[in-house]
Amino acid sequence: MSGWRLGIDIGGTFTDVIAVAGAARRSAKVPSQPQEPVRAIVDAIAAVGLTWDLVDEIVHGTTIVTNDIVQGRFRPCALVATQGFADTIEIGRGSRRHLYRLEPTPRAPALVARPHRFEVAERIGHDGSVITALADAEIERVVAQVAASGLDTVAVCLLHAFRNPEHEARLGARLREVAANVSLSHEISPEFREFERMNTTVLNAMMMASIKRHLALIDQEKPATSRLHLMHSASGMAAPELIAERPLMLAMSGPAAGVSASCKATADLGIENAVTLDMGGTTTDICLIVKQRAEIAVNRELGGVRIRMPMVAVDSIGAGGGSIARLVSGALIVGPESAGARPGPACYGKGGTLPTVSDADLILGYLNEARTLGGSVHLSLEKAIAAVEPLAHAIGFTVVGAAAGIARVVHANMARAVRRTTVERGVDVRDFAMIAFGGAGPMHAAEVARLCGIHRITVPAYSSGFSALGCVDAAMSYSRQLTVGMKSGAWNAARLDALIGAEINELAVALMRAGHGRESLRISHTAGIRYSGQSYETPIADPALDDVITLGIQFDRAHRAQYGYATGEPWELVSLRTEVAASQIAGELATTAAVETTTVPVDRRIVTFESGESRTVNVLDRSCLPRNKRLAGPLIIEDEWSTTLLPPGDGVRMDAAGNLQIEVAL
Amino acid sequence: MSKWGRDTLITIDPVSLEVIRNGLTSIAEEMSMVVMRAARSPLLREAGDHSSALTDAKGFLVAQGQDVPVHLGVLSFTVREFLARVPAERMQSGDVWIVNLPAVGGNHLPDVKLIRPIFADGALYAFAVSLAHWADVGGAMPGSYFADARDAWQEGMRIPPTRLVAHDEMDAEKLGLILANVRGEDERRGDILAQIAATTVAARRLDELALKHGVAWLCAAFDAIHDRAERQMREAIRTIPNGIYSGEDFMDDDGHGGASVPIRVTVTIDDETATFDFRESADAVPGPINTTPFIAGAAVFYVMKALYGPDIQPSGGCYRPLRVITRPGSILDPGADRPVVGGNHETCQRVADAIFHAMAPFAIEKMSAGGPTTAGLLIFSARKPEGGWSTFYEVHSGGEGARIDRDGMAATRVHLANVMNTPAEVIEAEYPITVEFQRIRRNSGGNGRHRGGEGIERGYRMRASEVALTTMFERAVVPPYGLAGGSPGKTFGAILKRADGSEERLRGKQNIQIASGDLVVVESCGGGGYGAPPTESGAITGVDQKDGA
Repeated sequence: MSGWRLGIDIGGTFTDVIAVAGAARRSAKVPSQPQEPVRAIVDAIAAVGLTWDLVDEIVHGTTIVTNDIVQGRFRPCALVATQGFADTIEIGRGSRRHLYRLEPTPRAPALVARPHRFEVAERIGHDGSVITALADAEIERVVAQVAASGLDTVAVCLLHAFRNPEHEARLGARLREVAANVSLSHEISPEFREFERMNTTVLNAMMMASIKRHLALIDQEKPATSRLHLMHSASGMAAPELIAERPLMLAMSGPAAGVSASCKATADLGIENAVTLDMGGTTTDICLIVKQRAEIAVNRELGGVRIRMPMVAVDSIGAGGGSIARLVSGALIVGPESAGARPGPACYGKGGTLPTVSDADLILGYLNEARTLGGSVHLSLEKAIAAVEPLAHAIGFTVVGAAAGIARVVHANMARAVRRTTVERGVDVRDFAMIAFGGAGPMHAAEVARLCGIHRITVPAYSSGFSALGCVDAAMSYSRQLTVGMKSGAWNAARLDALIGAEINELAVALMRAGHGRESLRISHTAGIRYSGQSYETPIADPALDDVITLGIQFDRAHRAQYGYATGEPWELVSLRTEVAASQIAGELATTAAVETTTVPVDRRIVTFESGESRTVNVLDRSCLPRNKRLAGPLIIEDEWSTTLLPPGDGVRMDAAGNLQIEVAL
Repeated sequence: MSKWGRDTLITIDPVSLEVIRNGLTSIAEEMSMVVMRAARSPLLREAGDHSSALTDAKGFLVAQGQDVPVHLGVLSFTVREFLARVPAERMQSGDVWIVNLPAVGGNHLPDVKLIRPIFADGALYAFAVSLAHWADVGGAMPGSYFADARDAWQEGMRIPPTRLVAHDEMDAEKLGLILANVRGEDERRGDILAQIAATTVAARRLDELALKHGVAWLCAAFDAIHDRAERQMREAIRTIPNGIYSGEDFMDDDGHGGASVPIRVTVTIDDETATFDFRESADAVPGPINTTPFIAGAAVFYVMKALYGPDIQPSGGCYRPLRVITRPGSILDPGADRPVVGGNHETCQRVADAIFHAMAPFAIEKMSAGGPTTAGLLIFSARKPEGGWSTFYEVHSGGEGARIDRDGMAATRVHLANVMNTPAEVIEAEYPITVEFQRIRRNSGGNGRHRGGEGIERGYRMRASEVALTTMFERAVVPPYGLAGGSPGKTFGAILKRADGSEERLRGKQNIQIASGDLVVVESCGGGGYGAPPTESGAITGVDQKDGA
């Protein structure tokens, strides 16, 4: 056992990898392969000089599911619903998204086309009792209908199935004989409200085929001795067997890894509140971290689609290194269209001819023409200039002037997105720190922060592979939410014990399979309790599940804290979230300080700032920077994978842990 | 003028204005979240029939939640009318006042407002208001919709501005008086507590802002919000050609089954001001579909925003360039004694329809054809075995009207309404009712170049021996209109299928006793079509969501 653990983050443009074994660590960046994401994993392993047999564990974040949802790539899906309820998928909750806008459709169109909706005669009561039994002949009838539709993807959502899953389970067993991808609502979203459960179940089913293909391809490559885990939307781990059935857990997988690493960074650095700026090739992801924790939302819209699953509250905008600049009715627009990984920005020399943010960065002197990216990308200033020239000509600017214009517009776009994320929550971002990472984040962070009134930026160590670091660094934790439905007046301690025991066993299996001893696992619960007659639960951390009296007191206290009153009335334990976590395998990741430090420039080049001002600027090597020495801008700090740009007036200091701490002049 | 009057020395920069504007809006949104999460009646916690707003010290709106447009329109008037009756000197920090009288900037008795004055250094600087629709406020019928009502006192408990909470202590005797006069005591108590909690949260958040920026600055920001909204509204009106335009639409009947009743408006656009004159509308009617001038104002504001300025911040400043005229004694200004319970959501939508008709000559390309401008309301009140009533209040979505560039969507709420449906799983768990089916009402949308959206059908089977059913719906006689040659949508209907096999169509405003085994089927209206339909027979456009697509 060689003990290498790999964090791999597959982004839209690049795939980042960080490998850790004891104190040793390696990192690399390779181009993503949107058509065959697994190729990027294989390339990444080779890029850090490893072979599969040396890899014990891979933790992998991916945007596959996110991109499918956002870009509306929905695999046609059959829906099986209780007789009379198939149209629920279209009726929804009846409300509209915009109160005062008539032009947009009130909601996204129904996920399942009318001819693909099937109904089955059965009925479960709200208490779980069987009102109309599901006959075997009825199962055969609807299974034949689904089979005749030719669809390989099926979602089943029967009324009250979360109270009694028997009908769904029987239907599911037969459907799995005729369809490859079957999702059952009591498994995917075991909570009341039929539309939310149905929509989430359908979306899950639609994502199954592509994620299973992805996992199968990894399996072909990887020996059985290398274990695979995936980063799920709420910044925790999930086993591939679980993800194959519940791909929707990956809806925010990519951003979750970066957010997880950021939370850890705020804790390490003692930063209370921060906003993350993760600028990659295609998008910039923004997330608020308040009191060192990221907000986890249970009900989110992604690409206009409602999803009821816990996930980090990240806002994405189409602004990245590959974002394309163009002139639209006299205005310079940048993004959201992206040159992506193929062909990529013009300066990558892979066939792209449209001007992008990266092309501007190269022309402005931010990027170093002499460096290669991901071992294979050689930057071409000539091609960047050729791409920007027509745009410059059209607006009557010099090429450098046009490139500065592209930078200004993309900074303004990102600043507006940061403000929206914070201001919409009534938070004043000026009190926040910014954590900038991703391939392009550190290059653009200073100007964005300045526009937002943020005076402190942290560019963390391993900033360009920060999400991969989040993958490798995250605690191994598995979590799930269970619907309990137990009233304080009819407490059944034995039943609750049995439920909790079964839940822990199920969650622990994956961790034990990964080699963790049962006794080393940390188990925590969050109870959702409400007064009888309320619809929404108050979360209780570390609930006294073995003592109904104490639990009641905990609930009253939490309700009072949240709403200012408590009534002492009967209550109900509605849900229970259980998390099982293994202690981290590796210790803290300590960055190794360079043996010899220096502030002697490795290069000097002419750099044009957003203002249009050009200066000859010193370029320093990040790996040789002295610790805790303040340096003044203008300055460029390069590392293997990314460039940190420090405009005139700003200051920077590398701390003992290798993070760059930037003071922004406002 | 209060201590926190206009301070002309403070200027609010554009970035700060945007931050504070969004900050105030997020407070209002948080209030609504608190009501939804803490409330007891499914009407609030599932369907979301409640709204939240913040006003300045004079009662002018500065922010609202993402709630129900008709409530929000009315809340623009509530605190101002409240202040006209309760002088600010009588209010203290820690007060919460309760009011539901329609005359006090209101709409109908079930929409109960809880108002908290908010102070800094002993001076009033803002109000937080939580409006919630109570599933019962007493009166002749459980659910408080009395179809045969002849006067306002039959519609329920009338609460003038009353201090319910003083020094943050509930006045138990006043609460007792209210609870003794409404059905569902426990549910109502829980709902009141939730509304008070929402105002408490708002006060805490506003105090944080005041601490951070200073109250004088905050008040200057309120003024800046008004001024900006006024500017936006004036700019919006400027885009409308000057002129005098008139439009009308019709209520199905007078509320008691008589002939259709007109709502008429004459709109005068004069550069950057607009006057909406409703004096030609019908006289007050005998049935409960009269409404208040505040509702007419809410509809005016809604239409202006929808057609010309969706991004205008709802605020007191919006109304400065708008003038709304109603005639005392008319259906829109009937006086204190007329019944109004249904006017809140039925007549208000017809006012909007009439304004849309008036503006059609120059705005048809921005408009939607006629949609489900009715709440499509059914109230089921089942007598509980242990006594008292279990009241289920449900509105129904219908087909959106088609537009110049697309089909209408099926099953949606339009214009001044946006209350959600109650999930079947909630209904069955909480009421003695089985939902037998909920489906799209196929082919109920009007034909046209673009088709109207389709309505829904939902069937409710009774599981209790004594149920009082109330209907309150419109568009059962006058269908949702087509535009530019499109056909109207199908009308709204409700059918009672008795356990004994007999069947009857229910009237739009009716109270009727039903019993175990009876099935009530709603067929909500379809939207109107837009543009003349294709001439080839059988050709159907816009097949995106239709069968066989």
